[in-house]
Amino acid sequence: MTIAPPGARQEEQTRYLDIRGLGVRYGGKHGTEALRGLDLQVPEGSFHAVLGPSGCGKSTLLKALVGLLDMQVGAIEPQPRLPAYVPQGDSCFPWLTAAENVAFGLEARGVGKRERLQRARSLLADLDLGDFADRYPHELSEGMRQRVAIARAFAIDADLLLMDEPLSALDFQTKMRVQSELLGLWERQRSTVIYVTHDIDEALTLADHVTVLSTRPALARETIEVPFSRPRSYRDVRRAPGYGDLFARIDALLEA
Amino acid sequence: MSDALGPFRAILLGATIPLIVLAAWQVASTQEWINPLFWPAPSTIAERTWDELMGGALATDSFVTARRLLIGFVLGAAPGVFLGLAAGVSRVLREAVYPTASALYVVPRIAMLPLVLVAFSINDPARIFMVAFSVFFIAFFSALSGAEQVRLTHLDVARAFGAGRWRTIARVVLPGAMPSIISGLQVAMGFALIVIVGTEFLAADQGLGARIWTSYQVFDFPAMYAGIVAVTVLGVVLNYLILGSKRILAPWQR
Repeated sequence: MTIAPPGARQEEQTRYLDIRGLGVRYGGKHGTEALRGLDLQVPEGSFHAVLGPSGCGKSTLLKALVGLLDMQVGAIEPQPRLPAYVPQGDSCFPWLTAAENVAFGLEARGVGKRERLQRARSLLADLDLGDFADRYPHELSEGMRQRVAIARAFAIDADLLLMDEPLSALDFQTKMRVQSELLGLWERQRSTVIYVTHDIDEALTLADHVTVLSTRPALARETIEVPFSRPRSYRDVRRAPGYGDLFARIDALLEA
Repeated sequence: MSDALGPFRAILLGATIPLIVLAAWQVASTQEWINPLFWPAPSTIAERTWDELMGGALATDSFVTARRLLIGFVLGAAPGVFLGLAAGVSRVLREAVYPTASALYVVPRIAMLPLVLVAFSINDPARIFMVAFSVFFIAFFSALSGAEQVRLTHLDVARAFGAGRWRTIARVVLPGAMPSIISGLQVAMGFALIVIVGTEFLAADQGLGARIWTSYQVFDFPAMYAGIVAVTVLGVVLNYLILGSKRILAPWQR
């Protein structure tokens, strides 16, 4: 594991997903303010982790980007066109098989049944779930269901993938495995990913940049570049020089 | 300690209580500890049921009742489920429909019969309407409740992945509500059976309800019990049909 030269990636990545002054308030004018003037610049094609204290508005940020919430103020440039979304918790449709779940987004995009199921099966095979393509979610383990939800997001080849703590409920071993599979899928597609997590190790393992948010209403406190070269794994990152300092720096920002 | 039972043992266990009751009834009736005019022995009832079945009258009445029941059930269940789902996804519709549905739901069905007879006269449409009217509200409330219980996460995923309103209803709300709808229809079927038999008691010359009531009036109790047996068999068969439909319509349900 080496540390990439500072700024090496930025030189290649000149285009950004630019979020400016994003504000969201729940419950009307006198309701709770979840985000206030949040600015975030995400280089296109990068993996961007967002960390923050519990309840600071991380999930709200993703929902606003997906278009599930009305933004009261702010702008996103370029406007994401049907981004892929992995919500928090178990999001597989219980009435669809694993393959049908993965193919769901393709169906909404008008891809024919045969083609979308073929694509879904291929993605599931990549995730070692080929034998489970025709099983219903209740027949799968929690880790398998999360992999199905991740495969569903990757299936549509979206420019922007928004993931809300998709691995938070998994045990340590499963989490490491799914992290590695997630990175494998992402490195093939290189979509822009905004990945919300509360786990510093996970952020450092997966991301090119980590943005730490303040308490609610959230503001971006600082964005930190993660200098570890790819391909990488949790174990590589833990052993890399500079890991401890980065961890401590992010931890201090979260505590501040 | 395991509670698992083999299918044969489960059937045997389930049959124990009815067999004990029938045996006690048989002895009590033949020994005349109870009045055999009102409580004929199960063997007498079985014999009479068989005779009536072979004679064709019981089968005809069963068919008449089943036909009225099924037509009324479909005419009540289909719009009930549709409107319930629509009210589940449209707040405006829910606010508009819910108070009226709640008020009509609690009106005793049999209290509606005179009004229904005035509207339809003593014909099949009146009996079918009574069933449909009863089934409609159960179907409506079960579909509404099922639609409201669809997880927000699933609706968010559908919306995020670009599913429009109709696709969301067809691919998320309907299957999400299906277990609740099927449970509701199971209850509605039992209710429909009560209503059709009750309606036939009062306003019919054919059908199992009419047979039971006429037999009672002429003190032909074995024939009355034969009608009750036929109603029970009809109810059990229809209940199994709905349970079977669950395997087709909601195969993901454990």
